[in-house]
Amino acid sequence: MLDLLHQIPTAFLFFSSAFILLFLPQGLARNFVLLGTPIIAAIQIWTLGMGDFSQISFFGFELELMRLDSLSRIFVLIFCLAAFLGNLFAWHLRDTIQQVSALAYAGSAIGAALSGDMIALFFYWEGTAIASVFLIWARRTEGSYWTGMRYLIIQIMSGVILITGVALYYYDTGSITFELMELGSIATWLIFISFGMKCAFPLLHNWLQDSYPAATITGTVILSAFTTKLAVYALARGFAGTEILIYIGTVMALFPIFFAEIENDLRRVLAYSLNNQLGFMVVGVGIGTELALNGTASHAFAHILYKALLFMSVGAVMYRTGTSKASELGGLYRTMPKTAIFCLIGAASISAFPLFSGFITKSLTLSAVAHEHYTYIWLALVFASAGVLSHSGIKIPFFTFFAHDSGRRPKEAPLHMLLAMGITAFLCIFIGIFPNYLYSILPYDVNYKPYTMEHIAGQLQLLLFALLAFAIIYRRGLHPPEIRAVNLDTDIIYRKLIPSIVLYVSFVLTACFKLINIFLVSIFESLLSRFHHSHGPDSPRAASWPAGAMVISIASLLGLALFVIFFS
Amino acid sequence: MKKFKDETKNYPLLGRWISWVDKPGSSQKIFYILILLCIACFGLEWTYEKHAYFAIENYKGFYALYGFIVFSGLIFVATLLRKIVKVREGFYEEKSIDTEKYPEDQIQRIDHNA
Repeated sequence: MLDLLHQIPTAFLFFSSAFILLFLPQGLARNFVLLGTPIIAAIQIWTLGMGDFSQISFFGFELELMRLDSLSRIFVLIFCLAAFLGNLFAWHLRDTIQQVSALAYAGSAIGAALSGDMIALFFYWEGTAIASVFLIWARRTEGSYWTGMRYLIIQIMSGVILITGVALYYYDTGSITFELMELGSIATWLIFISFGMKCAFPLLHNWLQDSYPAATITGTVILSAFTTKLAVYALARGFAGTEILIYIGTVMALFPIFFAEIENDLRRVLAYSLNNQLGFMVVGVGIGTELALNGTASHAFAHILYKALLFMSVGAVMYRTGTSKASELGGLYRTMPKTAIFCLIGAASISAFPLFSGFITKSLTLSAVAHEHYTYIWLALVFASAGVLSHSGIKIPFFTFFAHDSGRRPKEAPLHMLLAMGITAFLCIFIGIFPNYLYSILPYDVNYKPYTMEHIAGQLQLLLFALLAFAIIYRRGLHPPEIRAVNLDTDIIYRKLIPSIVLYVSFVLTACFKLINIFLVSIFESLLSRFHHSHGPDSPRAASWPAGAMVISIASLLGLALFVIFFS
Repeated sequence: MKKFKDETKNYPLLGRWISWVDKPGSSQKIFYILILLCIACFGLEWTYEKHAYFAIENYKGFYALYGFIVFSGLIFVATLLRKIVKVREGFYEEKSIDTEKYPEDQIQRIDHNA
């Protein structure tokens, strides 16, 4: 049985399950397929060992569909876990589109992580874009339709840039193998930018904050796990040790914390926070040492869990109240205490409190940065760590479940949501207390002790004094209030600036064209009327026309034609 | 407010426990506990030997001071940033996800007291 399972590429497991779903009635049968597929896939990956397991020929290229090594394995395993938890959270869902797209999306992301060549990578890369957009459209409102369109355009563009890069890379090197590359040629730059788009590099990031809050409640939980972490994997595979990534990652870790602080939609706050967390991972890839890549992989693993937990808790609140806006929430701990506690666990994990998962993973990256003596980068990342506390650690739980009483008394989240949050919360704590289980599946051997007095005291000082600063600022009423508003970001370029420039240019061009048209027509008309006046049938000259004038003109025309044909 | 008070006994047990935080004087207590924790944490500095990568880490209370200052700075800068980037919810399009309501058929709005 296991042998048979090993023959099938993992992505195809998901695709066939997605297909089977269409023929199953809604309810238990579908839910078992939705939950069973990631479990079977995880068993397959866990028992398969390392190596290349599936090759196919494609227009003369050999495609590697199952390259399982220590780097791809951890990403595939966490993708399976995320798919399982996301589908459990969506147990109540009776929407075929979302169910099929969740499986196809997870399958594409897993397929991409297992691709040994860049053509297969491209197909799966586009697969993630196409499958995931339905999680946004499934909200079925006009706003989500347009947001989905913007998301799709950017994601597809990333794929198009990727395949252009791959084609040029093949032209340069004769290889399509997906392995470590060096930035330098146009080909590698294109591939790099394509990865960067999906990874939400600064200035290429805004699709993330635009689209994730637009997805359905369960869709956002699924979305948060795959696309961006796939991009982190792709960077780790293709561009580990590329120095520019250190600086890109640092900017990524820093700027979203300011936006997250003033954002009102809590799911968008989490999207900014996601962007900030990706920054840490990208820095790890940029450093590129074994310790740093371990930091990136473990951070991605832990991050998928606590980020999903936070999206789940805000999603559960949305499921009961219909809103995720901080200005309309507050005081919900009274009737949703379990969700509140799960949210606090997610918040503590992302803030990297000792005994929670963020602590044992983020410190790997920070230590790697310190080890390479990047002083300013290190200071910036420690700053970003305090920033994480501010928006994800404090803002999300505090303004949803505590702070001022919104007067809302929603019922506690349904059982399956509590179960999904409970398992995720348990994993966040388990990883935090027993880091060695996670460390044992990292790409390289780990010789690192996160729980030293120095680490613990330093991190606690940073977090507690930041909390103290918050307490003082909040008590003094200096904290920016939660108000209904949106904040401009780079999406203003393609949502306002470019459309208005296009509109302006087209207006000016149309006006010019009309003016020129009117001018030419009037000249032509006046010439014609003058000519008619002087040479027309009623003109005085007409009286002296010979009768054979027509014959003469036709004869000269034919003569001209003969002349032209003779010499051409 | 009276209406909510009457409902308190209907809250889940966990919710009633946590509701301690809303009792008069509790926030003050939490604040003092936080200060005590901060002091305790600061005191830990003298209990271990540092193996710092950077000289700056060797200063006693570096993380505490850095955390306090950058956090305050962050809030301050974010407040300024809001002045620049804040626009009304329908700024981009009148029908955007920020202005429209989440579809009621996709949620299950149940009141705890219902």
